[in-house]
Amino acid sequence: MYRKQVRRRRAVLLLLVVASLTLLSLYFREGYDGPMHRTQRGVAAVLGPISEGADRALKPARDFVNWFDETFEARGENEQLKEDLAEARDQLAQSQTGTAQAAELAKLQETVGGVIPDGYEGVTARVVSRSPTVWYSSVTIDKGTSAGLRVDDPVVGPDGLAGRVSATTQGTAKVTLITDPNSSVTGRVLPSASTGVIESTVGDPGKLQLNFVQRGEDIRENQMVVTAGFASESLDSLFPPGIPIGAVTDSSLEEQQAYQRVDVRPYADLRDMEFVQALVQSGGAK
Amino acid sequence: MILTPKIWVRLVALVLVTALLEVVFFSKVEWFGSTPDGAVLVVMSLGLLGGSVSGAVGGFSIGLLIDCLLMQTLGAFGASLMTVGYVSGRYRENVGRPQRGAIPILGGGMTLLGFVAFAAIQIGTGVDADVSTLIVRDALVTSIFGAALAVPVFGAVRLVLRPAVVEDRPEAAKSRRPVPAKAPPGAGAELS
Repeated sequence: MYRKQVRRRRAVLLLLVVASLTLLSLYFREGYDGPMHRTQRGVAAVLGPISEGADRALKPARDFVNWFDETFEARGENEQLKEDLAEARDQLAQSQTGTAQAAELAKLQETVGGVIPDGYEGVTARVVSRSPTVWYSSVTIDKGTSAGLRVDDPVVGPDGLAGRVSATTQGTAKVTLITDPNSSVTGRVLPSASTGVIESTVGDPGKLQLNFVQRGEDIRENQMVVTAGFASESLDSLFPPGIPIGAVTDSSLEEQQAYQRVDVRPYADLRDMEFVQALVQSGGAK
Repeated sequence: MILTPKIWVRLVALVLVTALLEVVFFSKVEWFGSTPDGAVLVVMSLGLLGGSVSGAVGGFSIGLLIDCLLMQTLGAFGASLMTVGYVSGRYRENVGRPQRGAIPILGGGMTLLGFVAFAAIQIGTGVDADVSTLIVRDALVTSIFGAALAVPVFGAVRLVLRPAVVEDRPEAAKSRRPVPAKAPPGAGAELS
């Protein structure tokens, strides 16, 4: 009897391990339109309205729990903000010395407020769910193909770039945030024209890295990084130019390296977004 | 665990509710920069109450549903939660019914195990970014939350599955009740 139980236990475990490995390898092998991706989107579409309802119903409870953490953090932030304000005054004085620089900053201020780039329309969506692990950085929003969203549409938060749409169902969409390991965005440091690729650091959602910036570029703390939005004959960037991404926090140049690495703090609070705007091209044509 | 049709319904509801709560509640709650992991604790409770097979199957099902809800790599959560469920079940099968004091320790340990299992899967399938040392801090903080939440989550799961848990059935409870010692002959006479 005991042996039978052991055999049954081992058989179930083996079956589950094989199922997991099969799912993992098939999922990586097949494309976006493969049967497993389609099944997954089907389940997500069916459960989407339930998730949305649960999200709304649980919001008061969530806010109550988060209140403790926010109160604790606010005390520390008060001191930090005073320091930041003093620093910002100094920077403002510096920026006003160069007219070209000031003009560029003024132009960007429009974008910081969430103004939609030319040729795009904003579809406001609510963040329904979030990935519970630091290994993925993605959210699910309550708008999908029925609202005109498509895969690769850029998504902005209240303060800057949030990510891009990476999967859609009729009523929901998955947004891969810029802090996800699979995300990369071409960024430009202002007011210079230094460009690089913004990549994430797993486990630290408050830090991005601007890699592949040419040696010799003078990059200083608090300079703004925006989407570069390149376009070529064969390849266009997914992101329109000029969307704020974050501020430079550090720039390091190691010997024997052809490029310098710039640390960037994202403007958008990607861990605490309630609403985002997906940017869909006007007219619906891509 | 005794599985009847009614218990199956409860189990399916538990799997669904756990997956939903994980993505719409626990993942959006933040304490000290980390989020508590409720799904791991539910899976641990399933393993501790029902054994390794129940734990592994429950963990795999909850994980698969989370993967679908988040449209993420299919099987990653399933495999890591299956590991947690299986190890919890083996604990029960080898050590026995957990004492109340052991549950927080198991909660913290299983949360850490789930974290490590998920990290191993991610590293095994390839990570295209630098990994910050802050991930260690995140694992530790999440484990502390796991330890703190283990008792209430275990209690809630036990309440849902009470009719199926062998120890909680009336006959088992009766057999655990201490038998009153027989009064020695002549004791009654002394009292009167």
